[in-house]
Amino acid sequence: MAAIKTIGVSGGRAGRAVAGRPQRRNRLAMKAQRSATGYLFMIGAIVCFALFSWYPMVREVIMSFQRTNFAGETTWIGLENYRHIIADPSFWAAWRATGLFALLALVFGYIVPFATAIVLNELRHFRGYFRLLVYLPVMIPPAAAAFLWKWFYTPDNSGLFNAVLHALHLPTSQWLQSPHVAMLCLVLFSTWSNMGAAVLVYLASLQGIPGELYDAAEIDGAGIFRRIWHVTVPQTRLILSLMLMLQIVATMQVFLEPYILTGGQSGTTTVVYLIYQYAFSFNNYGSGAALGIMLLVVLMGFAGAYLWLSRRVEEG
Amino acid sequence: MKKIGNRAAAVAAFALAGAVSLAACGSGGNGGSGTGPSGHVTIKVGCEPPKTQAAQRSFWVQDVAAFEKANPNITIVSDDTNPCDDPTTFNAKLASGKMDNVFYTYFTDATNVISSGQSADIQKYASQIANLGSLQPDLVNLYRQGGTSGGDLYGIPKSNYTLGLVYNRSLFQRAGLNPDQPPTTWAEVRADAKKISALGGGIVGYADYSAVGTGGWHFTAELYSLGGSMVTSDGKKAAFDNSTGMQVLQNLQQMRWTDNSMGSKQLLQYNDLPQMMGSGKLGMYVGAPDNVTFIHQQYRAPYANLGEGPMPGTGGTLLGGDGYMFSKNDTPAQIQAGIKFLNFEFLTPGAGQFNFARAKAAGQPVGLPQPNIWTAGSSVAQSTTSDKEKNATIPVANFQPYLQAAPNMTAKIEPPQAQAIYAQGDRVMAAVLTQRNPNLQQLLSTFASQTNTILANG
Amino acid sequence: MAVAESGPRTLISPAQRSRGHAKIVYWAVIGILIPLFALAFLFPLYWMVTGGLKSPSEVIQTPPSLLPNSPQFHNYITAWNDLGLGRLLLNTVVYAGGALIFQVVFDVAAAYALSKLRPVLGNVILFMMLAAMMIPPAVLVLPQYLTANSLPFIHTSLLASPWAIWLPSVANGFNIFILKRFFDSIPADLLAAAALDGAGPFRTLWRVVLPISRPIIGVVSIFAGVNVWKDFLWPLLVLNDPSSYSINVGLYHLSNGSPEDVLIAALAIASVPTIIFFLFFQRNIMSGLTAGGVKG
Repeated sequence: MAAIKTIGVSGGRAGRAVAGRPQRRNRLAMKAQRSATGYLFMIGAIVCFALFSWYPMVREVIMSFQRTNFAGETTWIGLENYRHIIADPSFWAAWRATGLFALLALVFGYIVPFATAIVLNELRHFRGYFRLLVYLPVMIPPAAAAFLWKWFYTPDNSGLFNAVLHALHLPTSQWLQSPHVAMLCLVLFSTWSNMGAAVLVYLASLQGIPGELYDAAEIDGAGIFRRIWHVTVPQTRLILSLMLMLQIVATMQVFLEPYILTGGQSGTTTVVYLIYQYAFSFNNYGSGAALGIMLLVVLMGFAGAYLWLSRRVEEG
Repeated sequence: MKKIGNRAAAVAAFALAGAVSLAACGSGGNGGSGTGPSGHVTIKVGCEPPKTQAAQRSFWVQDVAAFEKANPNITIVSDDTNPCDDPTTFNAKLASGKMDNVFYTYFTDATNVISSGQSADIQKYASQIANLGSLQPDLVNLYRQGGTSGGDLYGIPKSNYTLGLVYNRSLFQRAGLNPDQPPTTWAEVRADAKKISALGGGIVGYADYSAVGTGGWHFTAELYSLGGSMVTSDGKKAAFDNSTGMQVLQNLQQMRWTDNSMGSKQLLQYNDLPQMMGSGKLGMYVGAPDNVTFIHQQYRAPYANLGEGPMPGTGGTLLGGDGYMFSKNDTPAQIQAGIKFLNFEFLTPGAGQFNFARAKAAGQPVGLPQPNIWTAGSSVAQSTTSDKEKNATIPVANFQPYLQAAPNMTAKIEPPQAQAIYAQGDRVMAAVLTQRNPNLQQLLSTFASQTNTILANG
Repeated sequence: MAVAESGPRTLISPAQRSRGHAKIVYWAVIGILIPLFALAFLFPLYWMVTGGLKSPSEVIQTPPSLLPNSPQFHNYITAWNDLGLGRLLLNTVVYAGGALIFQVVFDVAAAYALSKLRPVLGNVILFMMLAAMMIPPAVLVLPQYLTANSLPFIHTSLLASPWAIWLPSVANGFNIFILKRFFDSIPADLLAAAALDGAGPFRTLWRVVLPISRPIIGVVSIFAGVNVWKDFLWPLLVLNDPSSYSINVGLYHLSNGSPEDVLIAALAIASVPTIIFFLFFQRNIMSGLTAGGVKG
């Protein structure tokens, strides 16, 4: 529909002199030529999407119903892979771990950057310093940052964190080795290394809030926290919900943190980690694919919400 | 007589091989990327020692240069990936078909590599392998189709180990223990660990692995030491969900939590234990004799402090090792060149890994009990041993407890699908070592059922 | 940088801010935040750099030392020489640069075609590309890996080659989304004028569209570079040869065989180039990222 309309705009001028049938033929020819040119422009992207997005999607579904052996031969086994992974005790543990990570990441990774941005936005001095520092960890290669933190989390008192706690006469922790604390450790690391980007995004959106709204709220007698609640939050609502979706979708796919920091121990084997293990430790591609499909279904819900919100941001 | 016969056969085979490869090139045929126009063969060989092991690397480089000089039509490209074989990525790499022409494997990989179809059948060229007849048949069979002497040959073992107990002699002394008498049962290990950790100052009596597959590996070793088996004799089911398996876990649990003799730092892997031993903070751990030299070289621990005892328990000890296999994409000329190089580097007394005189001159450790890939009593074995003793640089006495026990130890090979099973075993080890009161029976049953699944899928 | 008193009104009004005790509170907050930020974001880096200067036994010593007893500078030399960090960093730059170029060329062309040329079934293609955006990358790693390992029809493997990073990076629905939306906002008259001058689609794109699209292309470029720099799972799978390791994958593999003090030195070295790069291009990167974030 849209295509015809556009052609009408530019094609119309050229065809104005000619009348009737020739014009229509002309239009068709132009349209064909335009399509051809269009596809020529798109060919690179289409090939890449086909190879690394569309085809793998189809293949994932097919693989989830198959068993692949070492020699690469496949047999159809129906829902066997799904039955197998649901029966695997690791399956529910992985969902629990993933859910817990996402939840803790909301508490820390979501609220902390927003609060930081609100505070930084009030400062009139040293702004460059604060922005620079909060963004520094983002620039460190994630594997390097993870190994650094793994070292900080050393469970005896030679580790940085325990040494500090010990010096302050506070109880030390087993950190990554403790099933109770390990996930929190991953989230703290993840927040430290990623929050810079979120803070900058929030800062940008805070700067777009018209000052008059605060003036009005102040005249109504609203204190700082009520102003935050009634002005700041509603004014950044869209970006907040967008970031929420992005973060949930991202945290549900967490892999590097457990892979490097805990090797999946202490109850930190996440769903994506389990997919990796099925495929590359247990040589069971089919079960890995089936688990991938399940993850997809779960994330589709969130992703759908994300798309819906993007639309609203676009319109609003 | 036998030796001479073999050698003659080998020479004949080399001559033949030369003719074959020339013919292959003459016909301009299946040269592949590795075979140049004038019969020149290039092969990529895995497991060149990394730069961090300077002496071993220089030996390798020397050997490659000498080999190329003697075989001007062969070029060796060395692959110094370290670790040579990372079990967490090995299968992925194997599936990709991007293995070196002559690629490095653990014994545990061989079966899967053969069934993946990614490696070449070298049975035809077996006669070209130097001293094949003197290699321990058990080791060679690991690289045969089906794991028995009747199967086709797919690879060549180059070194082996059996696990024992690496221990710190000076800590033994300080704890009032006799450094010449390391523990031989798990009860003794436990008692000694308690005394050593009582020294305080962050000293750990005994430590063990629980990450990236090493945990499952040591679970297996400890199970073997108590006479247990990982899988049933047909290799189809897990066989450790019983009192023996339980005993392994309980023993660790008591050392970790009741005695507090295993330290607080867990989820250890690969180099963690040698490093702890090297820094003088660890009393004992399960490891092969070569760990002693590794600790000495990498962490500068004096030999006087280090010793190797037998695997505790009387049930047996885990046998492992490594070797080379050939990519399925290799041309016949490449396979033959690869065999020639392996002969040169790994299978000839007095040369390559057995060039003890050179190692001694470079101040490298000579005198380790392993590798001992030769059949005991064969002439190759005898010449290797006498050569080794002549050039010994390490205090062989430190290995005496290990050596004395060795003849009475049953060496047991690792289970099928070992790396996959080990990855699951990590969870059990990690749970025992990081949680005060885990449900051991449940851990063991879960591990067993996961092992059954792995075996069924394999 | 920002001069005090400037800028629009925020949560706290200038009047409120300038009151006596509020001023004290304000400066107290700044006085707390400056060391707090230093502690949270600079101190870990300090610990990393000095950790790389410690001896193996000092690294695991209890309690840890604040300053290295006798700085082991050779750790850094060992890390650089023996661990091949230069190669890892160079590889990563090549991957990031290539991914950036491929994404800009292919995705800009495609988005332009979808926005302005509107070929037959263009909407279907657009829908499929945007749908791809909703599929989380981790879900597809297995089939993607198998595809990269053996491409359909031609059965070539991309593993351990830069193509395994470059080509999949093009399949980025988000790029198509923001680029197409930007192109949609370019007035049709502008293009029509170019067409009247006899410019074909390619020249229009090159001469008219690209010059005004520089900000959005900047955003795409920054995301492309940052994504490659941060990615771990995919390169871990496809870069399976040591000569092809990216910095993240390389550090992971090195961690298994290196003494801890040398590894820490390696971490510090690996972090330096990006931090320097960032200090130079701070302004562009920050504005690019926030622009992308706000609009995306």
